[in-house]
Amino acid sequence: MAQRNPTLDRPVAIDTTAIRVREQGIERRARFRSISEPLGLLIALVVLLIVFSLLNDRFLTIGNAQNILTQASIPLIIAVGATLVILLGSIDLSVEGVMGAAGMTWILLTANSRGGEGLGAWAWVIALGVALLFGLANGLIFTGLKVPSFIVTLGMWYVGLGFATILYGRDLFPRLEDAALKGWTSQLTLGLPNAFWLALLVIGIGLAVVRYTRVGRVALAIGNSETIARAAGLPAFRVKVAVFAIAAVLSGLGGILATIQLDIGSPLVGSGLLFIVIPAVVIGGTSLGGGRGGILRTVLGVFLLTVLNNGLILSGVDTSWQSAVSGVILVAAIVFAAWSHRDRLGVAK
Amino acid sequence: MSTTVTEATPTTDAAPRPRRRIPGRHAWQAVGPIVIFVAMLVVVAILTPAFIGGGGLAIVATSSAPILLLALGQAMVLNVGSIDLSNAAIALLGAILLALTLGPVAGAAPLVILLATTLFGAVNGFLVATFQVPSFALTLGTLGIFQAAALVLSGRTTVYVSANSEVTSTLYQTGIANVPMTFWIAVVFAVVLWVMMRYTRVGRGLTAIGKNESAAIFSAVRTRSLKVLAFALSGFAAGLGSIAIIAQAGSASPSGLGSDLLLPAIAAALIGGTSISGGVVNPLAVIFGALTVALVPIASAAIGIPTQAQSLVYGVVIIAIVALTMSRNKSSIVK
Repeated sequence: MAQRNPTLDRPVAIDTTAIRVREQGIERRARFRSISEPLGLLIALVVLLIVFSLLNDRFLTIGNAQNILTQASIPLIIAVGATLVILLGSIDLSVEGVMGAAGMTWILLTANSRGGEGLGAWAWVIALGVALLFGLANGLIFTGLKVPSFIVTLGMWYVGLGFATILYGRDLFPRLEDAALKGWTSQLTLGLPNAFWLALLVIGIGLAVVRYTRVGRVALAIGNSETIARAAGLPAFRVKVAVFAIAAVLSGLGGILATIQLDIGSPLVGSGLLFIVIPAVVIGGTSLGGGRGGILRTVLGVFLLTVLNNGLILSGVDTSWQSAVSGVILVAAIVFAAWSHRDRLGVAK
Repeated sequence: MSTTVTEATPTTDAAPRPRRRIPGRHAWQAVGPIVIFVAMLVVVAILTPAFIGGGGLAIVATSSAPILLLALGQAMVLNVGSIDLSNAAIALLGAILLALTLGPVAGAAPLVILLATTLFGAVNGFLVATFQVPSFALTLGTLGIFQAAALVLSGRTTVYVSANSEVTSTLYQTGIANVPMTFWIAVVFAVVLWVMMRYTRVGRGLTAIGKNESAAIFSAVRTRSLKVLAFALSGFAAGLGSIAIIAQAGSASPSGLGSDLLLPAIAAALIGGTSISGGVVNPLAVIFGALTVALVPIASAAIGIPTQAQSLVYGVVIIAIVALTMSRNKSSIVK
């Protein structure tokens, strides 16, 4: 302890040129990547649009464009939350379960074929509250008990499904009776589907949160290096819980919208959405390790997958292939993203 | 470093001695799974007294066979510190392939299926090990691919075995002590894995990866090929699982028997004392893990939880077990 290092006794002039040159190089590459990656996605999207419109003349119509926007809305809303979670370096697999739980809560509290008075706006509040509880549970178990997020949220996925199944009981499917809400998601306002307006609002708020609020900035810092973030005195605990809560509320909102779209309540209302949301975030270029990426890139990712699915279905490809398409894209995207980080001594879990 | 302080504790001066073990944790790993199973059994026996007399245990063992097989495979992957979210989808795809091929090629079909599922697992492992990607994300992707393949091959309906169903069904209809061979095959597989993990270089290497992958690399453990092996074993186990499914049901469908095995299998592996962060596995204890999980539907029905909501129980069980058994310290980073 008390021993002194003789070399530290006098200041040594160190030539830092090499370090500075290296840092400048890293910065240049990062700036290049932040432009080139979204550009690559845009080009891919345009190529897809061209290919599908050549294959099928029903593809490039106003009707189908509105269709695609409606289809993209729910994944967009959920992907905003998923991006925040992945920016932390964590993952939220509970999306489909929370959707089921919130959607089922909502329809049972709204005017439906099983009878009972609808609670109107309160149904939304309570359903989103249920989703919030799931998110808080995710966040608190993950952060407080230090259980890896993939295992907490994997468990919570099935807890959500079970919760919805218990609410559902053994009765008939509850059908939406509220005439004002039937088909609300795909109805047009100013030429765009209502659900898409809602998605735009969520994206706008999400962008503002990441850019201007403490939660967003701290989340990015945690994703970059949690050790440094904590050492700097940032409120890592609260921010992590908050991010999981936000993600779950957005999943819940997605669940309600999906229920409106489906017209009936089902625990499996979110089925397959995880396979759009996670690949979309990853191909958007948000790193699974955290700290790098953003919501706008995810938006591009969602559109890429939605256009691909829509185009494939219009071209007569069986819908059964959908999860395979997303699966292949997810595998390709994570392999591509990990390519430059491979290392002989690298460790991957 | 400083000598005056540590003299109070003589352990540091002693000659090289066997590595100290944490007694509580070690004892729990040996008997914990059995204790949980017996406790669960007692609860079920009290709630439904007819259960023990009516051959309930044989029923539990029977229904645990596919869960046990998948759990053993999952335990191998968890042991190297990864997770295989696709193994249940591989088992289901295998079952559909088996139902389709059993008619045309009879006895060769199970072998072909085992080969195919082992290959699927090995591809997972190859991608994880070569490209150093997180296994939960990669196997989530391949889960989607296998699921779609199962949907397309089955045409979204139930595929019945057209002929030669006796090749597999004998495994279900014959048995020892009223328990079908499918369960005993799983037990034998567990014993083989146990021997491998305990006495072979390969087994020790696998555990070394789970304990500390960097250290394993520096100790010249062939980490990449061993990881591929762990995932291939998971695929092989899934193949055995698909044979068990067909032996029992005689048909396979994307939503039928075996479609919801992912969580029960992970739960069984974890109840069996497998560590989620790797480096701890006991295939023999996983047997009791699987038996416990097979008791869940019976127990939850006895308590009054509707059987469709079992997934809730599995979800809670998994979170609770990992929360209780995670080794953690204040400064560690958990993603």
